[in-house]
Amino acid sequence: MTTTEPTRPDAATPAADPPAAGTVLLQLGSDGVAELRLGAATEPVVTWTRDRLESLDRALQQLATVPALRGVLVTGPGPGMFCAGADIRLIQDITDPAEGAAAAVRGRTIFQRLQQLRVPVVAAIDGPCLGGGLELALFCDLRVASDHRAVQIGLPEVKLGIVPGFGGTQNLTRLCGLGTALQLILEGKLLRGKPARKLGVVDRLVPSARLLASARAELDALIATGRKAPPRRLRGLAKWLGKAPLRALVVRKAEAALQRGQARFYPAPRAALRLCVQALTLPPEQGYAAEARALGETIVTPVSKGLVHLFFLTERSKKLGKLDGARDTGRALVIGGGVMGAGIAGLLAHKGLRVRLCDLDLGALARAKARLQKDLDKQTRRRRLERHEAQAVQDRLAVATDWGALQQTDLWLEAVVEDLGLKQKLMREALARGLPDTALLATNTSSLPVTDMAQGLLHPGRVVGLHFFTPPEKMPLVEVIRGKATDDAAVATACRLAVRLGKFPVVTTDAAGFLVNRCLAPYLNEAARLLLEGNAPEAVDAAMLEFGMPMGPCRLLDEVGFDVAAKVSSVLQAAFPDRMVPCELFAAMAAAKALGQKTGGGIYGKDGTGSGPGRAVLKGLQKQRGTPPRSASRAEIVQRLVYPLIDEAYRCLDDGVVAAEADLDLGLVMGMGFPPFTGGVTRHARALGLANVTAALDELARAHGVRFQPSDGLRRRALGG
Amino acid sequence: MKKGTKKARDNERDLAIVTGWRTPFCKAGGPLQGAAAADLATHVLRELLDRTPLDPRQIDEVILGCAGADAREANVARVAALRAGLPQTTTAFTVMRNCGSGMEALFEAQRRLRAGEGEVFVVGGTESMSNFPLLMGPELTGFFTRLGKARSPLQKLRALSRFRPRALKPRIAVVEGLTDPVTGLMMGHTAEKVAQRFGIDRAAMDAFALQSHQRAAAAAAAGHFAAETVPYVPPPDHRAAVTADDGVRQEQTLAALQKLRPVFDRQNGDVTVGNACQITDGAVALLCMSAGKAKALGLQPIAFVRGTATAALAPDVMGLGPVHATPPALQRAGLTLADLDVIELNEAFAAQVLGCVRAFADADYCRRELGLDGALGEIDPARLNPNGGAIALGHPIGATGARLVLTLAHELRRRGGGHGLATLCIGGGQGQAVVLEAA
Repeated sequence: MTTTEPTRPDAATPAADPPAAGTVLLQLGSDGVAELRLGAATEPVVTWTRDRLESLDRALQQLATVPALRGVLVTGPGPGMFCAGADIRLIQDITDPAEGAAAAVRGRTIFQRLQQLRVPVVAAIDGPCLGGGLELALFCDLRVASDHRAVQIGLPEVKLGIVPGFGGTQNLTRLCGLGTALQLILEGKLLRGKPARKLGVVDRLVPSARLLASARAELDALIATGRKAPPRRLRGLAKWLGKAPLRALVVRKAEAALQRGQARFYPAPRAALRLCVQALTLPPEQGYAAEARALGETIVTPVSKGLVHLFFLTERSKKLGKLDGARDTGRALVIGGGVMGAGIAGLLAHKGLRVRLCDLDLGALARAKARLQKDLDKQTRRRRLERHEAQAVQDRLAVATDWGALQQTDLWLEAVVEDLGLKQKLMREALARGLPDTALLATNTSSLPVTDMAQGLLHPGRVVGLHFFTPPEKMPLVEVIRGKATDDAAVATACRLAVRLGKFPVVTTDAAGFLVNRCLAPYLNEAARLLLEGNAPEAVDAAMLEFGMPMGPCRLLDEVGFDVAAKVSSVLQAAFPDRMVPCELFAAMAAAKALGQKTGGGIYGKDGTGSGPGRAVLKGLQKQRGTPPRSASRAEIVQRLVYPLIDEAYRCLDDGVVAAEADLDLGLVMGMGFPPFTGGVTRHARALGLANVTAALDELARAHGVRFQPSDGLRRRALGG
Repeated sequence: MKKGTKKARDNERDLAIVTGWRTPFCKAGGPLQGAAAADLATHVLRELLDRTPLDPRQIDEVILGCAGADAREANVARVAALRAGLPQTTTAFTVMRNCGSGMEALFEAQRRLRAGEGEVFVVGGTESMSNFPLLMGPELTGFFTRLGKARSPLQKLRALSRFRPRALKPRIAVVEGLTDPVTGLMMGHTAEKVAQRFGIDRAAMDAFALQSHQRAAAAAAAGHFAAETVPYVPPPDHRAAVTADDGVRQEQTLAALQKLRPVFDRQNGDVTVGNACQITDGAVALLCMSAGKAKALGLQPIAFVRGTATAALAPDVMGLGPVHATPPALQRAGLTLADLDVIELNEAFAAQVLGCVRAFADADYCRRELGLDGALGEIDPARLNPNGGAIALGHPIGATGARLVLTLAHELRRRGGGHGLATLCIGGGQGQAVVLEAA
C-alpha cells in the first residue's frame, strides 16, 4: 500500500512528510481499491476550502489515470466526522453573482469526476454530512451511514440564504423524489442515520465500529457485479409525486407555504423549489447550470449576508461555552413551579441534568410534570425520541415541596415572583441548607438587580443571572447577567450550561432590563402610544409583521402580560426617567385585569383571536386624551418602533451592558425576534444609514417628545460613518 | 434512653437505619394504578437520594423486595436504581419472600454488611398490585406456538382450526398469588384456621379492624405518616399529586364492618374484606449503613437493627409466623418481649393478629410449637400497632416489610428511645421479625 499526498503524486514514500491538514488524502491499495479521505485524522471538522477542493481535484485526476483501479471508498477524516459542507467564509466573501456561479460550477465539476470514474465509488458516512459534504456523497454510487451520534445528513444551505450549489438540488431530487428533496432542502432539515436510510438518502445503516468494513463489503459487492452503480428506481408515492399532475399540486402547496409568515422574506427556498422541479424536467447539465446560476443570485443577497453574519455570531456565542474556569452542571434545584420554572426544569431534564423542581403548590408541580409529558409524548409520536428516552427525561425531573438536601447540587436557580426580599431569603436558605461553595446561585429575574441579591451572602461571587425567555423550551437566548460581585468562574459556568442547553448565551452587566427587555421597552411603549393615538392594534401588528418580526407588538404584550409589562417598565422608568415613561395603557390594563392570555384576554381574545376585554380600556383612554384619533402610515409605525430600538441598542453598548455590536445583533434576533435576514439590529441600522436614523429620530423628537432624542453615541457614529 | 441494652450500644458493625421514605399507599385500581412497580420504586429511590446529603457513589447496593415483578422489569431493583440516577456501577437485586420481601431486603443488607460485602445499602420494597396481570394459560401458549411453526397455508389453517375459546380464559395473578399451592388454601382460609384454633370470633376481628382504622386516622391527623411519606405525581398523565394513603377510613363504624359478608368461607367463616388487609400499591426505601459508616459520614441514624430472624411453620396456619420468628430475634437482641416498647405486627388479617397475641401468651402453644419453657408473654394492646396497620393502610406485598420497619423507627424516634419489634407472617408458612433500637 502506498500513501500519496495528492499535491505531489510522485512522492511514493509514505514516511516522507505527514500529509498536510486541510487537504484530502488518497491511499491506493495493492488490490486496486483506493481510499479517499476528506481530511487528516487530526482535523476535528472538515469543510470545503479552496485548498481542499483543489486537492480533491488533483486526487481524482490522478485516480482517473490508474489503470488497475477497481473501486473507490470515500471516508471522513476519522470517527464522528464526514464533511460539514463549504467553508462559510467563502460564502461570505462572494459579492458578484458571476463569481458565485463560477465557484458552484467549479466545485460541482470536481465532484462530477467521481461519477466519471468507470469504477464504483462508495461513501462511508460516520459524522456530519452537510451541504457540500452531502453533495459530494450524492455523486458517489452508494452511501453507507453509521449509527454514530454525530451523524447528521442534510442540505441546510437555505439557512444561510443560499441554495445548494454543488448539484445537491438536482441529485437529491432524482435520488429520493420530489417530496423528500423539498422536505430536506426547503427547511434545511437534518437527518440522523435511521431516517436518512428510510428516506433513501443513504443506502445502508451500520454500526459505527463496522462502518469501514461494511462500506468496503458493499464496494466489493458492486465490483463483483461489474456495474458502476446499483440500479435505482423511484417507487410508489415518491415516483408519482414527480409526475406532472401530482407534481403541480406539490409545487403549488410548497409555493403557498413559502409565501406565508416569515418565509416570504427568504428568497432561497423559493429558488430551491424551482431547482428541484427542474431536476425532473431539465436534462442534468441544464439543471446543474440553473443551480449554479441560482447560487450566484442568492449568495449576493443581503438576506444571505445577514444570515451568514448571524451564523458567525452564533458560533461566537457557542464559544462562550468553553471559557476557562467553567464547571460542569449535573444536578440542579429549581425553585418556583410557575411557567418559567417548570419550563426551565423540563429543559434541564431534557438536556440530561438531574433536576428537582420545588414549589409549595403541589398543583403547580403536577402541571409541570404533565407539561413535560405532553411535550415528550409529542416527540415520541414524531419519532424524535424513543419511549425509554422519554421516560428517562421524565425520571430526571423530580417535583417536590421539599428542597431536600443540597450537598450534591451544582446549580440552584430561582424562578419565583419578582420580590427581592423573597429571593434573598431563598438564597440564604440555600446556603444554610448546605449548598456547596462551588455551586451556582442563579436567578431568572427579568427586572431585579442581581448585585442586590448577592449582597450579604457568603461567596457572593457565584450569584449570577440566568435570564431565560418565555417559553424557555423554545426561545434560543439566555442572558447571563454578571452582577458587581459575580466572579468569572460563575459566568463561565453559566455560559457553559446555556450552551449545553442548546441556547445562545449573551453576557450582560447588571443594568436595568439587561439587554433585551431594555431594548423592548421603547418598542412596546411606542406601540402602546400608537394605540392611544387611535391606531388599530391590527394595523400596528401588521406593520411590524411586514417589517419581519415574528409577532406584532400588541400580540406580544398579550403574551407577556400587561402586569409584567407594567412591572418591567416601571423598573426601567426608574433607571431612565426621561425616555422610558411607561405608557398609561400598561397600568390601566393591569388594573382592569385584562392582562392578556394568562387571564381572559387582553387586546386580543383569550385564544389570541378577535377582540379582547382590553379594547374597552383602550377606548376609555382614547376618550380621556380628547385628541381626534389618527392612523399612522406603515412607514411611520415602523420608524417609531424600530428607530428608538436601534438607539437603545447602541446605548446598551455605550453603557457597557454588552461588550460588542455582535451581542446586540445576536441578542435581539434570538431574544425578541428581530428579523434574522437583516443580520441583526446594528447591520440593519447601517443598511438604513446611521445618519438617516439620527435625522429621523430628531424629527420624531420634535413631533412627539424627547423620548426620541438620539443618544450622543449614535450621533457620533452617524458622523463617523 | 429508657433502658440500657444488653449489647454494646454502638457496635460499629451493626446496621443503622439512617432515613427512609415511602410513597402514599393507595388502593389497587386507585390513583397509583398507572405506575408500575418500577415507577413507584424509582420515585422513592430518587426522593431518598435527593433528601440525603450522601454522595450516591457511596451506596454499595440496592436491594428491593417485590412479590409480583412484571416480566418487563423482573429485577425491578436494578431498573429503579438506574432510573433514579444511581451510578451505573452500583449493583442492585430484587428479593422475593412473598409478604416478607421488603423485610428480607433489610436482612440481606445486614448479612452483606457482616460478610464484608459493602457498607451502605438502600433497601426497601415495591408493589403495584394494580398491575398484577391476567395470565394466559399453556393452552393459548400452545396455540401460538403451533401457529408460529406452521409454514404452509394448509398447516396454518389447521393450526387456526384448533383454537378453542376456553384458551382465552385468563388466570388472575393476584388470586393465584394469594393462594398457597401446597395446601391449596387461599390466605383468607389460613386466617380462618388460626381463628378457629384460638377461638377468635367475628366481633373481636371487627373490633380490631375498627381500631386499626381509628389509630391510623389519628396517626395521619397527627402527621405521623406525613413524616415518612413523599408526595408522588403518578404517570401516565401526571394529573395530580398523591399526598396521602387512601385506605384509612376515618368514618369507619363497627356497624358497617359487621354488615360485611365473609369472603373466603361464605358459610361458616368470619374473615371479611373489612377485617383483612387491603390490596394496595406502594413502595418504600430505607437508607442503611454500618453504624461506623454513619458516624464517619456525619449522618444521624434514626434506629439500629439489633436482631433479626426468619422462621417457618405449617403453611395452613401461616398467620402465626410472627410467633415463631420473634423469639430468635429477641434472643439475638438480648431482649425479652417485656422489653419492647412498640410492636408492629403486620395486619394481614385481624384474625391472624389476634391469633398471634393469643399464641404469645399461650404456654401450651409456646411449649409445643416453639419448644420454650412457657409462654412468651402478654402483649400490651396499647403497644401493638399504635399507628394502625395494613387493615387501614393496605398491604402492598413486597413493600410492607420495609414499611413496618420505617413506621416503627419513626415511632421509636417520637417516643424518644426504646426498643421495638416489627414482625410479619408470610404466605407459604413463614414469619420474620426484626428488633430495632432507637438511635
